This record gives sequence, structure tokens and C-alpha cells, in this order.
Amino acid sequence: MKLLKKPPLRVLLFSLLALLAVAVTVTAQKQPQNVQVRIGSILASNQSDEFDARLKGLEKQLRVLKYRSYRLLKDESQSVPWQGNRVFEIPGGRSLMVAPQEFQDNRIGLKVRLTDGPKPLLDTTVRISNKGNFILGGPPHEGGVLVLSISAVTQ
Amino acid sequence: MNGCEDKIPSIERWLDGELSGAENDSLRSHVAVCAECSEAQRRLEKLQSTLKAALLSEAQRVDFAPFWRAVQLRVNEKRPWYQEALDSMRRALPAPRVAWVVPAVIVLLLAVVSLESYLPGWRGAGRNAFATVESIDAYGRNVALLREYDTKTTVIWLYQDQEGENEAAEETAPSGPAF
Repeated sequence: MKLLKKPPLRVLLFSLLALLAVAVTVTAQKQPQNVQVRIGSILASNQSDEFDARLKGLEKQLRVLKYRSYRLLKDESQSVPWQGNRVFEIPGGRSLMVAPQEFQDNRIGLKVRLTDGPKPLLDTTVRISNKGNFILGGPPHEGGVLVLSISAVTQ
Repeated sequence: MNGCEDKIPSIERWLDGELSGAENDSLRSHVAVCAECSEAQRRLEKLQSTLKAALLSEAQRVDFAPFWRAVQLRVNEKRPWYQEALDSMRRALPAPRVAWVVPAVIVLLLAVVSLESYLPGWRGAGRNAFATVESIDAYGRNVALLREYDTKTTVIWLYQDQEGENEAAEETAPSGPAF
């Protein structure tokens, strides 16, 4: 242990340990295992003034759309591996395929495809912040429109 | 031997003039009464004088002129500017302080990386809150993109115009975007 009392050796050893710690942390940050994708299917309409209490957390975002009524039709979460994909069944016989692409700078890249049966309605690639969301809406449904809140969080 | 073996190194240092005043006096008194140490002193003095004589006789044969010329050349040699700059930097930043800069920077880097990992968004809540749409293909349908700054909301809105597909007529929803 006498060697450790020499300052240059202590510095070298400390530097190596610190570098190792940085490498482990960076590697751990860059490779989250899965992405938890959550799809909230909401019916927005002007037929009443009802606001579903389960949508409290999304109220400010939904009010942007200027509809009078919002009702949660379905809330589904699935764990999706990187470079994999999962299909979410959406009310009205539609489906939403979500494929996480990459994780960089605490943002998740998602490839999203909305289909109505065999007919594709929309293909988009979006980057959202980890634990963030975006809104996809517009398809007509039961006298209103369907609004999807698509959120993702790394696991 | 009378247990004076450990005195030999002291006698050597005494003869070389390396002892302090008190040590010098103490050893001198001891050697005066100790036959063994007195003999050792005599032996070492003889060895020293023999070596000195040999060195002096050999040194006369050595030509020191080329050596001193080389020394003078090195002293008068003009050093390159970068060498001067390096030297002044070394003088300004002594080695021990510079050595600790490397691990200090690494620790700082580790702290920044860890903060981003364990406290996502610490650099500012709204900095990256907006979703970024990199591509949209609505297969010929109308699509609108809205970014609302107060709530940091990104909305992709599909809509059909008045002459849209047949199914639009079956629905009572407004055809254009509502926002």
C-alpha cells in the first residue's frame, strides 16, 4: 500500500475509477431495455359538456382542441422492446402500430402507424421527451372525433 | 568484535565530514578509547587516501576541454518558442495541481451525466418538452400540425374536406380541425 501514498499513482487510480464509473453510467443511460407505451383513446365531441374525471391529467392539453366533451374510451399500456413494435386496438376497428426507434438526449423516437382495417390512415415519426406525450386525432367516431394521447417512458 | 560494527558507517560519515558537532565529538571520544574503532578509522583513512591518489593521477590524463565546450554550447543554445511556452506554463501550474485537474474534470462529467440520467429534464422543464414531428404521411388526406406553447402540446390532426371520402358523410363530426 506504500505505492498508493505517491500522489501521481493516487491520481491515476482515481482517474481510472472515475472513467470506469462514467463509462458504466453512460452505457446504462443509452440502453434502456424497453419502452412503456400508453395509448389513451378519447372521444371528443360537442354533444354534451361532460369531462371524464379520468382525463384530469390531460385536461389542459385536451382543452386546446376546443371540443365541449371528452370521454376516455380505452386506456392501454404495453411494454415495447427497442426496434420492436406493438399493435394497439383503437375503438372503431382501427389499430395503431407503435415502434420505438431510438433514445437520445432523454427523448424517445417513435414510429407510429394508424390503420383502419387494411387501409393505412397515417404514418408518422415523432420524437417525444421521456415520459412525454403527443396527441393524434381527427378520425370520426360515434358523433365526435377520436383523440389519441400517445405517451412513452423508458424502462 | 566488541559490538562496534554499527559504528563503521558513522566513522565513514565522520571522515567525510558529514556528522554534526555533537555526533562528531561523541564519536571522536569513542574512537580514542576503542581499539577496534580506532583500527577501522585507520583502515578507512588509508582506503580514502589510496582512492584519492588514484583519482588524482587518472584525472590528469582526462581531457575536459570537449566536455566544457559541449556544456557551453548547451548554455548558449537558443531554445524554440514552444519549449519556452511549455516551461512558463509548467512554472505557472505546478505539476501536482495540474494532475488533479484530470480527475476533477472526470468527476464533473460524471455528475452532469448522472444528473441527466437520474433527474431527466433538470436543465429546464420546458426545454425539450415539445414533441418533434420528423415525418408525416397521411396517404393523401389532409393533416394539420399544431404546437400549443402554454401546455407544450403537439397535435397531429387528420381531417377530411367537404369532398372527402364517403364515410365522412356518415359521421356527424365536424370535418375540419376544431382548434
